Amino acid sequence: MGIATIWSFHIPPAMNFQNPQLARIFVWHFPCPMIAVSLLMLSAWFSFRYLRTHDRAWDERALASQELAFIFSVLTMLTGMLFSKVMWGAWWQQDPRQTSFLMVLVIYATYFILRGAFPDAERRAANTAAYALAAIGPALFLIFVFPRLPQIQSFHPSDTIMKGKLTGEYGIVVSIMVVLMTILSAWLYRLRIRVGLLELEKEKSYERMDARGGGPASSGVVRRISVSGEN
Amino acid sequence: MSNSNWRTEIGAVLRKELITEFRTKNGLLTSGLFGFVTVVTLNLAMFSVSKNADMAAGLYWVAVLFASILALPRTFLVEEDQGTGDLLRLIAQPHSVFWGKALFNLLLILAIGLGLSGLFVTLMETKVVYAGLFFGSIVTGCASLAGAVTLCGALVARAANRFALAAAVSAPLLLSILSFGVSTMRTALGAGGTNGWTLVMGAFCYAVVLFAIGPWIFAAVWKK
Repeated sequence: MGIATIWSFHIPPAMNFQNPQLARIFVWHFPCPMIAVSLLMLSAWFSFRYLRTHDRAWDERALASQELAFIFSVLTMLTGMLFSKVMWGAWWQQDPRQTSFLMVLVIYATYFILRGAFPDAERRAANTAAYALAAIGPALFLIFVFPRLPQIQSFHPSDTIMKGKLTGEYGIVVSIMVVLMTILSAWLYRLRIRVGLLELEKEKSYERMDARGGGPASSGVVRRISVSGEN
Repeated sequence: MSNSNWRTEIGAVLRKELITEFRTKNGLLTSGLFGFVTVVTLNLAMFSVSKNADMAAGLYWVAVLFASILALPRTFLVEEDQGTGDLLRLIAQPHSVFWGKALFNLLLILAIGLGLSGLFVTLMETKVVYAGLFFGSIVTGCASLAGAVTLCGALVARAANRFALAAAVSAPLLLSILSFGVSTMRTALGAGGTNGWTLVMGAFCYAVVLFAIGPWIFAAVWKK
């Protein structure tokens, strides 16, 4: 990552942009929405699996995907705003692409609000899984369809990659950064999953202890008493 | 379950909602009044501003959106408050409950949307250029709103602080419906554009998807 970062500052300026020197933020901006959308779709799949099996491991996977997707979505917005300031002189352009991605961010922020509203774990998992499934449709519409509607005029370049305008060293650095950030997100995801599954296992062990009658609260402070009929 | 049983159950849920609403008129009055106040407030805020079709289309759908967010989730929240939710879980299939309540919400939001449209056109001094497109936009937009908000109401019915949460959960999902409604209405009010009916079809498809997957998602959480 360090080498790719240093290399990104030494590649030739991107000639297709208004401010070629400062357009290097694109190297960081481009992978973020790709990873965010992939994680959102993964989260929807895990949510579907949870609703089919009611296995909370799937819920943990969905939560991990949502958290990482949200982080990468925020990074997308921040790098995009930086790009907007550099290219067009304003942090916020009322651009349809910017606005629609902000709506996606709001949709998935609501996921976490909903998650915090249910004290019961099973109900929380079921309702947030249902929301994640219901939200994936509008999210994909806002990301892929809305900015491309004929009546929508956007500053956001949409054909730079498709028309092969990223060539030479610039294209190589962008490709390397995509691969590296994908690996980074996969590593973070695996760490988060491991934490989530360990927490789930801890919760299950407490439930097993409670079921046997010797839960953590009763082990040190409160002792079981038995009432016998003998005097 | 046979088709006639489905129809009977859905009809029973819908009838129950209509009877309850006609008895109290809570939903209609609350959201209708809120929408009315919104339109009047917008008119007051813009009294010295020249209104055009672009502005009118956006403001109309903002008024309808907030009126629907206020009223529609109530169908499930009130069930939990009154303690009748568990009875409904016992006696009706989840799909029937969803369809019955979604159809009721559709009727409610259509009544509000059509009522507000007349008020809006009058107060905002806009002219409806394409009446068919205008009403097509309202019907399909309201259908999408009804499906989405019914589902969101069901999701938050047993959550903490559910009345406020219903609004927070519904609003983001409805933003994409707004884009269809506003674009279509702009064309209907003469702001230009040639693909109004394409957008009406888009909103219609959105409503179809919501009504198709809504019962399944609802069934997964209703009896939890």
